[in-house]
Amino acid sequence: MRLLWANFVAIYRKELQGYFATSLNYIIAAVYWFMAGVFYIILFNAVQANVAAQDLQGQAGLGAPPVDVPAVILENYLGVLGFLSLFILPLLSMNLFAQERQQGTLELLATSPITTTMVTVGKLAGVLTFFITLLVPVMFYESLTLLQSEPPFSFWLILLGHGALVLLAAAILSLGLFISATTESTLLAAVGTFALILLLWILQAVADRLSGVPAAIFRHLSLLQNYTSLIQGSVSTTNIILFLSYGILGVFLTVQWVDGLRFQRS
Amino acid sequence: MTYGIIEPISRLSGQNNNFMITVEHLTKRYGSTLAVNDLNFSVDAGEILGFLGPNGAGKTTTMRMLTGYMPPSEGTAKIAGFDVLEDSLAVRQRIGYLPETPPLYREMTVQGYLHFVASIKGVSAGDRPRRVDWAIERCGLTERRHQLIRKLSKGFRQRVGIAQAIVHDPPVIILDEPTVGLDPKQIIEVRNLIKSLAGDHTIILSTHILPEVSMTCNRVVIIQKGRVVATDTIDQLLNRSDNRTQYELKLSGNLQALQAALAQFPDLAGVQTQSDGDNHLVTVTTNGDTDIGPELTALVVQAGLRLYEMNRRRATLEDVFLQLTTSEDTAEDEVFASETAADS
Repeated sequence: MRLLWANFVAIYRKELQGYFATSLNYIIAAVYWFMAGVFYIILFNAVQANVAAQDLQGQAGLGAPPVDVPAVILENYLGVLGFLSLFILPLLSMNLFAQERQQGTLELLATSPITTTMVTVGKLAGVLTFFITLLVPVMFYESLTLLQSEPPFSFWLILLGHGALVLLAAAILSLGLFISATTESTLLAAVGTFALILLLWILQAVADRLSGVPAAIFRHLSLLQNYTSLIQGSVSTTNIILFLSYGILGVFLTVQWVDGLRFQRS
Repeated sequence: MTYGIIEPISRLSGQNNNFMITVEHLTKRYGSTLAVNDLNFSVDAGEILGFLGPNGAGKTTTMRMLTGYMPPSEGTAKIAGFDVLEDSLAVRQRIGYLPETPPLYREMTVQGYLHFVASIKGVSAGDRPRRVDWAIERCGLTERRHQLIRKLSKGFRQRVGIAQAIVHDPPVIILDEPTVGLDPKQIIEVRNLIKSLAGDHTIILSTHILPEVSMTCNRVVIIQKGRVVATDTIDQLLNRSDNRTQYELKLSGNLQALQAALAQFPDLAGVQTQSDGDNHLVTVTTNGDTDIGPELTALVVQAGLRLYEMNRRRATLEDVFLQLTTSEDTAEDEVFASETAADS
């Protein structure tokens, strides 16, 4: 057990150091922060304008219900962040195994007294940590604005909402990890991951055109459906379990695949 | 003459506990192709074993099976008594492995990389700085320890590759083509480094370069198309050749008298002459390893020729290697094997 932990820490530390040593990741972070910031300002102003219009209607005696502005902003913004992450996450996961295969370091890992599961879990934890660091400044400016509201908005709701985003990211990164293990080309890994998660994302749209059991299955598997219901504040265990299942599935497939590489002639 | 296929089995029939590495009937199939076919050999503790064969003979596949990276199709390999398949983790703790391409993280510094390798090889956090320093010093990387691996020259990268194979002080070191792509000076440095590691470590060195083996190894396994064609010490291998000795003489003058005298000479396999005007290159081949140098010079003087240069050329490892590996297909191999079995 202690050995497994030591293995995990070794891989986790190496991965984190790797993220900070790669210039591409700084570019990814910069783009993500820029886009997230722009969308926040747009959304913030749009919601404000809407609310002002509704207030006017209220004053005109049309009786519109009062709006919880911070909650509306947060919910819509988490939707935007989730969508933005679809483009960022494949770029974060593409290198995880493809690069190890390409530069031959997988052979080092495979001939070291360390299990493939620990390598995989360590890598996943590393990339997830990097993604969480991406979210920290975003949460900071959200708190700065949303907590100013009257009556006060709870910081815990912000934290919870981003918890859903992290769950979504864990599921996507885990699947991306698997795709990355199946190829030596990082570009192929990124494109493949993007295609897969886009498919899982729009599964709901497919479900809408179907009926009966297939529709229910597709709706249940859809990333968007589960993510939306989580950020709308209806925290249900089925949604959480679905994301965790995707995560575990990705890790499992990766371990099987990487162990299977030993049988290949290269 | 003892031949490889027979020898290790007789050595194994006793206690195999004395061997650091034992390989029995090791076979690897890829679909219908046999990459490695019924390999048998063993390595003593502290020995450097050369694993010699032409490209594509199955060297890398064998190295990968020994390290537990690839499972064998049949047969067993044991490192320090642990089976590579059943006790894979125990084996991996006891080997250092340099694959054909050094497994380096380009964005890490030399020191950071070696720290990482030490940590996944199970070196305790307290021992790591000492072990890393040792490996860095041993491989002559002291001045480069803070450099990014990406910025190192090929020779230094190869050294980092060797450093990662020894950083956890494993009893067994497996090196796959460690000098490929290096310049002559770097090759000598790497060879000296490998030699200096013997004794404390058991080393298997795979290569297709002959001088490498004769300069660094105690014993050689020669493989061809996945099969062992010989296992022996280098001296024994040299004795195994057909024992011919060649003399090359550079002469000028009239050759007729010398040729007449050589025709009378006993026990010669042949005389060849290449002439360029008045200058001649005469090659005399003897049947045994009889030393006919003094007689030859006497003949040359008697014939009134001027002698500029005289070389004695004995069988080299190259000759033995070519003799063992040039047969075109396995059918010929079998003929060769049965012939040699009859010989011995």
